[in-house]
Amino acid sequence: MINFDVLAGEKTDQQLWQRIREGDEQAFTIIFERYHRTLYNYGSKLTSNSAIVEDAVQDVFIDVWRLRNNLTDNVTSVKFYLYRALRRRIHLAQDKFPVTEEIAFLTENETPANPANSETILIDVESASRRAKQIQNLLSQLPQRQVEALTLRYFDDFSVEEIAGIMGVSEKSVRNFIYKALTSLRHNRQILIISSLIFCLLGVF
Amino acid sequence: MKHDPYALTELIRSDEFIEWVMRPDASNEKRWQTFLENNPDKKQTVEAAREYVILLAKDTGRDQPTKKQSDRMWNAVESRMHEAENESLAIEEPAKGRMISGWRWMRVAASAALILSIGSVSYWFYYKQSVSGKAPNLAAMQDLKTDKIIQRHNDSDKPMMILLTDGSSVVLQPGGRLSYSEAVNAKRREVALTGKAFFEIVKNKEKPFLVYSYGLATKVLGTSFMIDASEANKDIRVEVKTGTVSVFSINNLDKKEIEEESDKQELTGITLSQDQRIAFSKESGKITKLSAQVLETGDMDILRQEFVFDETPVHEVFRKMEIAYNVQISYDKVQMGNCTLNATLIGQPFKEKLEAICNALDAEYEINDNLVSIVGKGCK
Repeated sequence: MINFDVLAGEKTDQQLWQRIREGDEQAFTIIFERYHRTLYNYGSKLTSNSAIVEDAVQDVFIDVWRLRNNLTDNVTSVKFYLYRALRRRIHLAQDKFPVTEEIAFLTENETPANPANSETILIDVESASRRAKQIQNLLSQLPQRQVEALTLRYFDDFSVEEIAGIMGVSEKSVRNFIYKALTSLRHNRQILIISSLIFCLLGVF
Repeated sequence: MKHDPYALTELIRSDEFIEWVMRPDASNEKRWQTFLENNPDKKQTVEAAREYVILLAKDTGRDQPTKKQSDRMWNAVESRMHEAENESLAIEEPAKGRMISGWRWMRVAASAALILSIGSVSYWFYYKQSVSGKAPNLAAMQDLKTDKIIQRHNDSDKPMMILLTDGSSVVLQPGGRLSYSEAVNAKRREVALTGKAFFEIVKNKEKPFLVYSYGLATKVLGTSFMIDASEANKDIRVEVKTGTVSVFSINNLDKKEIEEESDKQELTGITLSQDQRIAFSKESGKITKLSAQVLETGDMDILRQEFVFDETPVHEVFRKMEIAYNVQISYDKVQMGNCTLNATLIGQPFKEKLEAICNALDAEYEINDNLVSIVGKGCK
């Protein structure tokens, strides 16, 4: 019975964290399973080199395990901790291989090293997702930090305060990134609507 | 340009607005619907902003790893984990060779560990839930928070079938929008609807099923019914096909009252039974019972559809299902097409109907989006 009670609490991040500190492999596995995908997704916004992202995600988790004895007791948000660690890792890696900066510009025409992408495109052929795809293209034209802020806000569901902490900037800057991104998206969308209208008309005749 | 807190861009980045789109619940649903009622001119802006928030969440989340990449990352982590155990903590150099040599074994061990841990955690989670009420509730709420809300929008000109995790099915008419969470909520099943949809809900007395639409909550324990909550109409209509449904306005209730009302395991308030209909005025919040059915031609195929089969050839049965749910059913027409079926399938969710048919035919089915394949040996 006691055993059940203890383990039932494993559901929350904090409790898992506590158990990792005590060397519980299972808790570690659950945290990995819970966050490695979204971390990878976030990492992909920081560099288009998927090998770097993979390595960085691995390293973040390996560090958590290796340094488990020294992990802070009171982590308010495990998720926040992991994201911030990943960002540092990727920046470190990029300093080592500055070449990747150039690769980032290639993404417009072909998205290399991202099979997940092409898969989704193949599955969704409906108009809604085509529109989404188009907006995604627009996303790829935004400055990296704006995309980063958008990802953390809308996909990862962090608060502006947390995003500021992860990106190492002020909350005001975060709001600014998001605002700028949104205004340029809107601007682009008008062009998009017009061009898709023309497309439809062409299709009719 | 004057500053308008409810302008498109402002809405998209408003924390409260995002909260409502991503995690609609009774209280924020009510708040925003009230806002819309007081500012009808904002309807389009709100709809556009909602679409943006959903698209942004979807598009910024497209770079997730493939299964292969996930496995690779886990293998690397796992191998380093045990390496750290065997040797001292201070190792820095990656051990690529070791990783490959033990790769196959690691892979098996890793998957086993994953499956075991996920399985045991969910077991304990459920176990806890049935034993005591307090702590697991917190866990359930957290789950809801981390789980993504699923938004389905039917922008085609045909009905769209949506299968919910509990086995219920919803046929969403063109222009309709349905949002729900796939998380397992301890107490109730909840969805939010704008537009028109036909619901066939799996019976579960412990977990009432609730539909929120413009201030109206429709609550059922398991039954089939239609809701027309189209944006253009002043009234929302609810029509029951089988079973019993209760409706109540959430406009005058606070959050706690809504929850109380939702969690009751019986149906209170205004209840409707078979073939009864009500209209709910979005403006006044008044619920009016409507008189006997007026047959509207071409309305809601599925609602009017009778699934009563008496020595009906299977190809006709499947044809009927295809039209009602807008799915494609593939089966061996030569072997099965002329088998006949006797069944009354009214009010069951799509899956239950399929199950019943397949049982009778001694066949198996598989659903992939709106493609259903049925494999069987045919009738004797």
